[in-house]
Amino acid sequence: MKKIPMRTLLFRVGAVLLLAVIAYSMTIIGRGHTVYMDSKRLEYNGQTYETPYKVEVYVNDEQVAKLYDKERGMSIWIGQKFSMTLEITQEKGGAEETQEVSLTLPRKMDGIILNLPALLAGLPEEAYLSEFVAAPSEEEAPSDEGITDEFGLSTTEELPAE
Amino acid sequence: MSMKPKKTGGSSFVELIQNNSVPIMFILICAVCIPVSGFSPGYLVNEIMTRLGRNAFLILCLIFPIMAGMGLNFAMTLGAMAAEIALIFTADWQVWGIPGIVLAMILSIPISVLLGVFCGQILNRAKGKEMITSYMIAFFVDGLYQLLVLFMMGPVIPILHSTLKLPRGYGIRNTVSLLHMRQSLDNLGAIHIGAVKIPVLTLVVIALFCLFIVWFRKTKLGQDMRAVGQNMDVARDAGIKVERTRIVAIVMSTVFAGLGMVIYLQNMGNISTYSSHKQIGMFCIAALLVGGASVDKASIRNVFLGVILFHTMFIVAPATGAKVTGDSMIGEYFRVFASYGVITIALVMYEMKKRMAKGKIGQQLQLAQREEESQ
Amino acid sequence: MGKTANEAITLGNKTKFRELADNFGLPRLIIAGFLLFLFIMAPLVGADFTTQLTNTINRFSWNAVLVLAMVPMVHSGCGLNFGLPLGIISGLLGGTMSIQFGFTGGMSFVMAIVIATPFALLSGGGYGWLLNRIKGGEMMIATYVGFSSVSFMCMMWLLLPYTSPTMVWGLSGKGLRTTISLEGFYDKVLANFLQINIGHLSIPTGSLLFFAVLAFLMWAFLHTKAGTAMTAVGSNPFFAKASGINIDRTRMLSVIMSTWLAAVGILVYQQGFGFIQLYMAPFNMAIPAVSAILIGGASVNKASIANVIIGTFLFQGIITMTPTVMNAAIHMDMSEVIRIIVSNGMILYALTRKTEGAK
Repeated sequence: MKKIPMRTLLFRVGAVLLLAVIAYSMTIIGRGHTVYMDSKRLEYNGQTYETPYKVEVYVNDEQVAKLYDKERGMSIWIGQKFSMTLEITQEKGGAEETQEVSLTLPRKMDGIILNLPALLAGLPEEAYLSEFVAAPSEEEAPSDEGITDEFGLSTTEELPAE
Repeated sequence: MSMKPKKTGGSSFVELIQNNSVPIMFILICAVCIPVSGFSPGYLVNEIMTRLGRNAFLILCLIFPIMAGMGLNFAMTLGAMAAEIALIFTADWQVWGIPGIVLAMILSIPISVLLGVFCGQILNRAKGKEMITSYMIAFFVDGLYQLLVLFMMGPVIPILHSTLKLPRGYGIRNTVSLLHMRQSLDNLGAIHIGAVKIPVLTLVVIALFCLFIVWFRKTKLGQDMRAVGQNMDVARDAGIKVERTRIVAIVMSTVFAGLGMVIYLQNMGNISTYSSHKQIGMFCIAALLVGGASVDKASIRNVFLGVILFHTMFIVAPATGAKVTGDSMIGEYFRVFASYGVITIALVMYEMKKRMAKGKIGQQLQLAQREEESQ
Repeated sequence: MGKTANEAITLGNKTKFRELADNFGLPRLIIAGFLLFLFIMAPLVGADFTTQLTNTINRFSWNAVLVLAMVPMVHSGCGLNFGLPLGIISGLLGGTMSIQFGFTGGMSFVMAIVIATPFALLSGGGYGWLLNRIKGGEMMIATYVGFSSVSFMCMMWLLLPYTSPTMVWGLSGKGLRTTISLEGFYDKVLANFLQINIGHLSIPTGSLLFFAVLAFLMWAFLHTKAGTAMTAVGSNPFFAKASGINIDRTRMLSVIMSTWLAAVGILVYQQGFGFIQLYMAPFNMAIPAVSAILIGGASVNKASIANVIIGTFLFQGIITMTPTVMNAAIHMDMSEVIRIIVSNGMILYALTRKTEGAK
C-alpha cells in the first residue's frame, strides 16, 4: 500500500469531521416542530385563566389562525427559537392589542401544544407547554399498492407468482 | 479538448446533421407536438424550467463514467437509493427545510461511496461489458435496498415515527412524505416572471456543479480519467492506476447522483420508496442521449439540450396523443417508447462506430505491416 | 498404512469438492443447497410437501420453453438473450390473433403457434441482422431492443383493430385488455393432456412432453452439421471462419430460433397460467429466464439442455417454495426480495467471470 502524506490525511479527516459537524448542526437548526395554539381556559395553581374573545396568530407575518374560545390553531416551525405575533381582542368589539411572543421549543418534541391564556399570563413553561401525541390513524393504509413510475405506468417487476 | 476540427466544404452540413441526428429528430417531434398539444407557452416554459431544476444535476453525474470510458452508468440508481435512505432518516428525525436537504445530502455521501466502490470493483471485473453489468448491478442493489428498507427498517434500524412504517410494524410505507422539505431549495430566492417560476438557488447549485466539472476535467485526476477512457493499456503504461481511476469515476458519479436525487425528491415532495429510483437511470440516460451525447462522449451542453428536448417531448406527448387518437394512453406509451428507442439507437450507433473504428485500425495495421515487409 | 489411505481419501474428497465447486460454481451450489434446505424445511413448518412439489413442477412446465429459448443464442456466441421480449411479443400476437379469428380449445393453441411463427421469423430476422452489425455489444442492445419493442407494442395493442369481445375493453369496444382470460381457448390444453394425479400430486404430462419434444429437437439440432457449426461460431469464430462457416448467417439462424422458441414459450406459459398478459407484462420476462439458465450451470457462452432443466427447476423451486416456507417459519414474506437478489446476483456473477472472455 502506498503511504498517504500526513497533510492529505489531515485534510481528509478534517473534511469528514466538518461534514459530520455540519450534519449534526443541521439536525438542531433544521428540527421541525408542529406548534398547536390552544385558546382554552386553564386552571393552574387554583387560579383560572380566561380566554380572550379572539386571538389572531401570525407566524412569519402570515396569519395561521384566528382563534375564538376553545379553538386550536396550528403552525409549523423549523428550529427551536419560536416566535409569533398575537393580535388579541379581549372583548367583542374591543380594541386589538398586539403582542410578540417568542420562546424556546424543546428539541425532542414533534408536536407542541401552547396554551395561549397561560402564555399571555406569563406562567412558567410547564403550565403553557405540553406535548401533542397524535392518535395513531390507520386510515391511510389501503393506498399502499399500485406503484407507478414517472411514466405513470405500473412497473410490475415480473411474472406474478400466481 | 472536445472541440472537433471544423471541416470546410459541402460535407460539413451533412456531417452536422448526421452527428446530431437524435437531437434533430426530437426537435422535429417537439415542433409537431407542441402546437397540437395546445399548451400555453407560459405553462410549457414553467414546466420545462421545473424539470430542468429537478433533473439537470442527476444527468450531469453521468459525465464522469463516460469520461473514464465506462459508458452510460446505469448504476447511477445506486446513488438515488442512497439518497432515498438518507431522506427517510431525515424525514424520520423531522429535520425540515434547507437544513433537512443539507443533512440528507451529507448522509447520502457515505452510503453512495460504499455502493460506488462496490459497483466500481465489479465493473473492473467486467471490462468491456460495463453497461450491461452496471445495468444488472442496479437491479441487484435494488434487491438489497428492498431488503434494507422493507425488512430491516423498524426491527434492526430504529425508525421513530410509526407514520413512516407499514401498518404491520416494520418496513417503510410506499410513500414517504417530504411535505415540509418540499421545494424549499427551489422556493428560496425564486423569481417569478409571468407564469414561470425560476428556481434560482437550484440553478445556482447546478451551475456550480457545471463549473466543478469544467475544472475537474483539467485536474490531474480528470486528465487521468480521460486517458483511461481513451485507451486503458496506454494509460496503464503511462503509470496511471487504471483500476483505481475507474473506481473513482464511478464513486464520483454515484455520490453526485445521490446529491442530485435529493434535489429531485425535494422538488417532487415525496418519495415513492420502492419505485422512485427504478426509472431514474433510464430517463436520465435517455435525456442525455437526446441532447446529442453518445456512449463515449458527453458534454455539459448535451445535458441541458437533452433535458429541454426530452422533457418537452415528455410534457406534450400525452396531450398530443390524446388529441390525435382520442386515447391519452397512446401518448403515455409513446414517450416510453421514445425513451427506450433513443437509448437503443444511441447504443447501436455507438457499437457500429466502434466496429468501424476497429476495422480501420485493423486495416492501418495491415497496411503498416505490409510496408514493413516490403522494405 | 490405513491412516495414510484415509488421509488420501479426505484429500481426494477435498479436491473433489473443490473441483465440483469450480465446475458447478459456488453460487449454484449455494442455490441448490438453499432449495434442498427449503424442501427439508417445508414439512417441518407444516407446508404440504406434495402441494409444493406440484407447484414447482407446474411452474417448471410453464417456464421451461422460455428458458430453452436462451440456448441457441448462447451457442452462437450472441450472449444471453435479453431481447426475449421480442419473441414474446410474436407469441402474444399469435395468441391474440388466434382468438380474434375465432379458434377455440386446443385448435386455438395450434393456430396461435402457427400465426406466431411468421412474426417470430420476421422480427427474429431483423433482430439477428441488427445483432450482426453490433457484434460485441449484443446483450445491452438486446435489452433495449426488447424494451423498445414492448413499449411500441403497448401502443399497438390499443390501436390494432381487434374486435373479439373477450379481449377488448368492454366499455369502448376497442383496445385490448391488460389481461385476457384463456378459458374456452387454450387454457391448460397441454397441462390437461394425460395429466397424472396421485393424491395431491398432479403432473402436467402434456406440458412436460411438449417441452421434452422441443428440448430433444434442440439437442438433435445441435448435433447436426448446422448445430455444430453454430457451436463453433460461438466458441471460436476464427476457426469457424477458417473452416468456411458463414458466421453471420449462423448467428442469424440462432437468433431466429431463439425468437421463435420465445414465442412458443410464452404460449406455453399462458396455457399453464390461464391468462394472456399484455402491455408492460413482457417487460421483465427476460431476466428470470436468463438467470434460470445461469443457475442451471450455463455461462455467457456455454449452455446445454441439462442446464435448462436443472436451472428452471432450481429457480422455479425457489420461487414457489420461499413464500410458503418463509411465511410459515418467520411470518415475513421475503420471497420477492430473495428472488430479486438471487436472479440478478446470478447474472452479475456470470458477467464478471474472468474466464468467459469479453462478450
